[in-house]
Amino acid sequence: MKLSTALNRENRGVAATVLVILILLPLAASIVGFVVRGGRDVPEVFLEKADPRWDACVRETEYMRFYHMDFLKEIREDVVRSGVKGGVTLAGCGDCHRNRDQFCDRCHQAASVNLDCFGCHFYPETDAERISAGM
Amino acid sequence: MRWVMDRRDFIKRGGTILAGASGALSLPVVSSCTPEVPHGASTLAGKRMGMVIDLTKCRSGCTACMDACREENNVAFFGDPRWDVHWLRKVNIRPTEEYEGGEGGAEKTVLLMCNHCDDPPCAQVCPVQATYKREDGIVLVDHHRCIGCRYCMIACPYNARYFNWRENEDWPNKEYPKRSHGVAESCNFCAHLVDQMKLPACVQTCQDIGAGALVFGDLNDPQSEVARLVAERSTKRIREDWGTEPKVYYIGL
Repeated sequence: MKLSTALNRENRGVAATVLVILILLPLAASIVGFVVRGGRDVPEVFLEKADPRWDACVRETEYMRFYHMDFLKEIREDVVRSGVKGGVTLAGCGDCHRNRDQFCDRCHQAASVNLDCFGCHFYPETDAERISAGM
Repeated sequence: MRWVMDRRDFIKRGGTILAGASGALSLPVVSSCTPEVPHGASTLAGKRMGMVIDLTKCRSGCTACMDACREENNVAFFGDPRWDVHWLRKVNIRPTEEYEGGEGGAEKTVLLMCNHCDDPPCAQVCPVQATYKREDGIVLVDHHRCIGCRYCMIACPYNARYFNWRENEDWPNKEYPKRSHGVAESCNFCAHLVDQMKLPACVQTCQDIGAGALVFGDLNDPQSEVARLVAERSTKRIREDWGTEPKVYYIGL
């Protein structure tokens, strides 16, 4: 049987419906999943606010939330290539944001961003670590 | 009065008006492109950091500088020559030629390191400009950019470059980053200490133990001790005929 014969007017409508359902299925599944889980797979921004220096972040919270990567890259270029130290260090972030899992990794995992900062850079998470590292 | 203008005048005047207008219009655009917060200005320009190694003062068998370097810069050491990284290394050389004293002549211990060439072959071949010469003449690696191709190791005529074949777990100085697996590295004159107006770890240690064989400073500054030593003493650099213009000078080589 030829394809054109099989897809007569009636069958064509069924085929089109099936096709549309197939295309929309993943979208629907993700929406249903999102509603069922109550949006819990989107990480809440967790910040440790116990530190009194909390208000003294190097930039405003909103700026850091969206542009911290560019900000850190700029500082990196200044420090590594020009030898200009602005006082902002990766370890310095740990002064207030003690928990790296919550502060860095949580969002990056959700956004599938793979960082290798901490293969070489030390991120002190406790006072004991900070003191033993001589910081 | 009729305004008569031939083609030449029209193009001349039109061009002048156009150029003026575009210049005036572009002014605010250009000024708005300048960043609000200027980047920190580098203070390295004009310097030429170098080292003088006085082999007559260098103690044979002493490894203080090498140990201090490892401690400061987290240089990988596994105890296996295939993977060990050395920023500093001491070699024993013995004369073989007749004019050097011939076979059986006195052995000499020489400290070898990155020579921080003024014309560094490693930086020339680096395909990603990870290895570069800073404005003060220190040759260093931006490990963020290094892709681990190891061209620099082939290019370096002094064999001063090493590759991190394995992940280094030792991390004695947490204030300074270690290197992860897959990047090349060499001595960087402790650039992070030089930026803080301190001496490199090897030089500081050599002074602390009282040997004072290593002297570090700005070769462009005639007041500095390195410049004075280079001017007054008989110094040699390794293979000056290669034209790499190394900045590590030897006394008594």
